[in-house]
Amino acid sequence: MVKKLTAVTAVAMLMTGVLSACGASGTNTNDAADANANAGTNAGANTDNTTAGADAKPADADASKKIVIKYWYAFGDKIEEAKLHMVDTFNKSQDKIEVVAEHQGNYDDLHAKVQAAFAAGDAPAVTDLEISSTGVFAHSGMLEELTTYAERDKEQLKLDDFNPGLMGNAYVDGKLYGLPFMRSTPILYKNVTMLKDAGLDPAGPKTWDELEEYSRVLKGKGKVGMTVPADIWYYEGLVAQSGGHMLSEDGKSAAFNSPEGVAPVEFWKKLSSEGLIKIPMGDEAGPTADKDWANQLSAFKFGSTAGVTGSLEIAKGNGFEMDTAFMPSNVSYGVPTGGCQLVITSKSSDEEKEAAWEFLKWMTSKENTIYQHKHVGYLPTRISAVESDELKAHFAEFPQFKVAVDQLEFARPRPMENAYPEVAKIIKEAIEKAILDPKVSPQDSLNEAAEKANKLLSK
Amino acid sequence: MRTWEKLRPYSMVAPAIIVFSLFFIYPIFYMIYLSLFDWNFVSPTKTFVGIQNFKDLLTDPDFRQVLTNTSIYTLLTVTLTTGLALLLALWLNRKSFFHGFVQGAIFSPHIISLVSISLLWSWLMDPEYGLLNWVIGLAGFGKLDWLSHPSTSLVSLVIVAVWKGLGYNTLVFIAGLQSIPPDIYEAASLDRSKPWTTFSKLILPMLSPSIFFLVIINMIGSFQVFETIAIMTQGGPVNSTNTLVYYIYEYGFRFFKIGYASAAGVILLVIVGILTIIYFKLLSNRVHYR
Repeated sequence: MVKKLTAVTAVAMLMTGVLSACGASGTNTNDAADANANAGTNAGANTDNTTAGADAKPADADASKKIVIKYWYAFGDKIEEAKLHMVDTFNKSQDKIEVVAEHQGNYDDLHAKVQAAFAAGDAPAVTDLEISSTGVFAHSGMLEELTTYAERDKEQLKLDDFNPGLMGNAYVDGKLYGLPFMRSTPILYKNVTMLKDAGLDPAGPKTWDELEEYSRVLKGKGKVGMTVPADIWYYEGLVAQSGGHMLSEDGKSAAFNSPEGVAPVEFWKKLSSEGLIKIPMGDEAGPTADKDWANQLSAFKFGSTAGVTGSLEIAKGNGFEMDTAFMPSNVSYGVPTGGCQLVITSKSSDEEKEAAWEFLKWMTSKENTIYQHKHVGYLPTRISAVESDELKAHFAEFPQFKVAVDQLEFARPRPMENAYPEVAKIIKEAIEKAILDPKVSPQDSLNEAAEKANKLLSK
Repeated sequence: MRTWEKLRPYSMVAPAIIVFSLFFIYPIFYMIYLSLFDWNFVSPTKTFVGIQNFKDLLTDPDFRQVLTNTSIYTLLTVTLTTGLALLLALWLNRKSFFHGFVQGAIFSPHIISLVSISLLWSWLMDPEYGLLNWVIGLAGFGKLDWLSHPSTSLVSLVIVAVWKGLGYNTLVFIAGLQSIPPDIYEAASLDRSKPWTTFSKLILPMLSPSIFFLVIINMIGSFQVFETIAIMTQGGPVNSTNTLVYYIYEYGFRFFKIGYASAAGVILLVIVGILTIIYFKLLSNRVHYR
C-alpha cells in the first residue's frame, strides 16, 4: 500500500514538473505573477491569464521591461466596445506599457470590487469611477491626487480644454482626482412619429406644462406620455429645473424637502395618478421605461446621452423617427451630469502610477473623446473636440447627438458627500412611497427622508 | 511511541480544525470586533464607537422593517415549502414512469444556479411583458404587479424560493417515506386504521427526523436569502423586500460602512443561533429517531 502510494505521488510530482516546464517555455512574463495576484481576491474576475497583480514583476530577464497595469471598467455592449478599442489602440501605439482591461459589471459592482481589491492590496492601477463616488473614494485615501501630474504635463494635458461643466466632480477639496472620461447628462428622447400622428408639434415639449398637455393628448390615443422610473439622477434634474438643490451649500444637511424639491414629486404623483405617465417600480423599472419607449407604448423617455446611438438603431429598427431634446424646464432648464471619470489608485508603485497617468492622458485625449462620442453618444469632454470639424460634420448629420452638448450649459455637478449613496437610496424610497400611496403626501415623505439624511450628512 | 499514540488523533483532525478556524471561527470573531468600530474597510484609521452601531441599528425603522421582512419571508417559505413537499411526496411515493418523471421535473430547479433562476423569474414576472401576466390576462384576470409593488414583491420572492426548494424537500420526504418498514403499514391496515389516522399517528412520527431536518435547513437558508433579492429587487420597492443579508451587503459594499454592516451581521448570527438552539431543544424531544 505504502509503495503504491509513493508511486502515485512520484507520478504526480513528475506530471507537475512537466506541466510547469511547459508553462515556463510559454514565456509569458505574467504567468508567474498571475498566480500570486489570483491568490488574493476576485477569483472570478481574474481567470484571464494575462492578469498581472500589483506586485507583478517580469520574471524573465530577457523579456523587455513592459509595465503591465490593470484597468477595470463598467458596462458592456457599445460602451465596452469603445473602451476595449481605445485600450487596444493604446497598447499598440507604444511598447512600454501594457494595459489589461477587465469588465466588472455596473458602477455599483465595480465600486464594490475596487474597494475589496484595494483592501486586499490588489487594486487595479486605473479604474472607471462614477462621478458622485469621487468624494468617498478620495476621502478614504484610495485615489492618487493628480494635481502634480497635471501641473507637470500641462502643455500636453491642457486641463482647461475640458468642458468646465464636467470638472465639478473631478475635484475634491480643491484637489484634482480624476479626468472626465465617459460623461453624460440625461436628455429627453422623443418618438417624433407618434407625436405627429397625434397632431402634436414635434419640437416640444419644452416645459413641464407642455409635457402634461402632450401626455393628455397621447393618453387619448391610448398611449402614455412617458414611462419614467423614480430614478435619483432624473430627480436631481427635475429639482434643478425647479431651481432647487439636493443638499445645502456645505453638504451637511438636506435641501430636497424645500418646495423646489417637492415640486417634482408632486408633478410625478399627479401625472401618474391620472395615468398620463407611468412610473414603474422595482429593479426592472429602468429597462421597462426603455422597452415601453422602444415598443411605442410611450412617446418620451429620459435617458443618458450614452444611449443615443443605441436608441437611433432601435428607432430605425422599429420604424419610427426619433429626436432628442433638453429635459423640459419648470422655472429653468437644468440637469445633473453623470457618467464616469478615470482615476489612479493610490497603492500602486510609482512606476505603475506613471504608466497609469500616460494611459489616462491617452484615454481622455481629443481624438479619443471624439471617437467615444461618435461610437456611443457620451459627451465630447473637450472644447476643442466640440469645435473640431469632424464633430461639426457629425452634428450636422445627426443633430440628436448635439443636444447633450448644448444642454451642458445648464449642467451642475452631482453631490459627492460620503453619505450621498445612502442618502440617494433614502430619497428614492421616499419618492416611491409618495407615488404609490395616495395617503402619503410628497412633502411629508420627503421631510421624513430629510430627517434621516440630516443624521447621516451631519456626521 | 506513546506520545505518537496520543498525538495521532489530534494530528488527524488538525487539517480540518485549521481550515475551520481560519475560515469560520476567525471571521466570526473579526466581525464581532469590527462591529464596535466606525470604519470604511480601506481607510487607515478605525474609530472605536463601542455599541453605537447596535444602538443605531435598533433605532432605525428601516432595520426593523428588514427584520420583519426577513421573518415573514422565512415563515412563508418554510411552511409552504415543507407543506407542499410533504403532499407531493405522499403522492409521488410509488413506482411508475409518470411519477418518476414528475419527481425529476420538480427536482430540476434544485440543480440550476439561483442566479439564472432569478433572471428567469424576473422576466416571467415582468408586469408589462412577462409570461405570467399574459397567462393571467388570457384567463380574464387583471394584471399583477409582482415585484414592482410593495404589497406583492415579498410574496413573489417567496414563490421563487418555494419553486426552487420544493424538489429537494420532496426528495428528502420520499426517502423518509421509503425507509418506513412496510410491516408497520400492514399492522395498521390489519387494525383497520383510517387513512388520516395512519398519516397522523404513523407517517408523521416516522417522518419527524426528515421534517425536523428540512425545517432547520430551510429556515437557516431563508434567513440568509441573498441572490434572488440582489438580482430581482435590490431590496425595493420602498424597502419591501430588503432582508438581513442583503442589508448587510448593501451597507458593507455600497455605502462602505463595514462596522455598521458587521453589527447587523452579529445580529443575524445571534438570531440564527437562537433559532437553532430553540429548535433543537423543543423539537428534538418530539422527534422520533429509530
